[in-house]
Amino acid sequence: MLSMSNERTNDEWLHDLNASGESQEVAIADLRDLLLRAALYFFSRNLGDFGGLNRDEILQRAEDCAQDALIALMDHLQDFRGDSKFTTWAYKFAINFALMSARHERWKGVSLDELPFSNEGTFSEWALQDKSDGIAPDRSALQNEVRETVQDVIEHDLTDKQRRVILMMVFNEVPMDEVVRHLGVNRNAIYKMLHDARRKLKSGLQARGFEVGETLALFSSQG
Amino acid sequence: MNRERFDAWLRNIYGTQDEEISCTECFDLVSRFVELETSGRDAVAELPKVKQHIEQCRACRDEYENLRDLARFENEGGAPSLDNLRSSIR
Repeated sequence: MLSMSNERTNDEWLHDLNASGESQEVAIADLRDLLLRAALYFFSRNLGDFGGLNRDEILQRAEDCAQDALIALMDHLQDFRGDSKFTTWAYKFAINFALMSARHERWKGVSLDELPFSNEGTFSEWALQDKSDGIAPDRSALQNEVRETVQDVIEHDLTDKQRRVILMMVFNEVPMDEVVRHLGVNRNAIYKMLHDARRKLKSGLQARGFEVGETLALFSSQG
Repeated sequence: MNRERFDAWLRNIYGTQDEEISCTECFDLVSRFVELETSGRDAVAELPKVKQHIEQCRACRDEYENLRDLARFENEGGAPSLDNLRSSIR
């Protein structure tokens, strides 16, 4: 069954949210329900992130996400261009907060300064331990060359910050928002570091003759 | 890092473009991208930079996938109710 919130057109949403009095109050309450639905939807698919919380605590987290999303959305209401359904545009605010909340809950006890892959020796350990069995020797040798090239670029061409972010996010799979929290910068800054690092890795591989198709084929599922 | 993950990372490395949009730009455009997709239009052709970003960025990809699924549910009239969602949390 469709809820009230789905029955408004985009213009009606904007009109009611920008109105005053009761119609604004009703619209905000409907919007809050819509955001709560998105947060609960995300949480219900990611319950594994909340191992340490009981049901009431998880439901409260969802309420908190809906409230934070409501504030963020109202701050950005003038940015809505009408190029999607209003509800789709609104959902993304709640999903954004729900994702941050879930990932933070999963990682909250982990010290990002004491991760398994976190120091200078990481890359040579990684190159050594990642030997695959049952692969033709020539293919295995080429795979090692690719790994050594990647290792070489990471160790010599990346900046300290780029190397640190690669270690956290690629080697230790730390979620972006936890790295954001840890380093005190925003997502865009982290994305830029990753992007710059990828550019250096790509040109490093190409400079050593590893072109895209044949290199990817080396690591794709083995026949 | 096992071979599967290294393979995925290599694909990201080779998929790198000189110009890529930021996470903020992706957040701004992702609802349009989903709208195009759910209305049967070619979102990738119209917004290739969004597609490229969500392939590279796990955080934005997770957000996109959940947004897409919610929008699909809603379009099909099957968006889960608050009560149903609450009881799915155990």
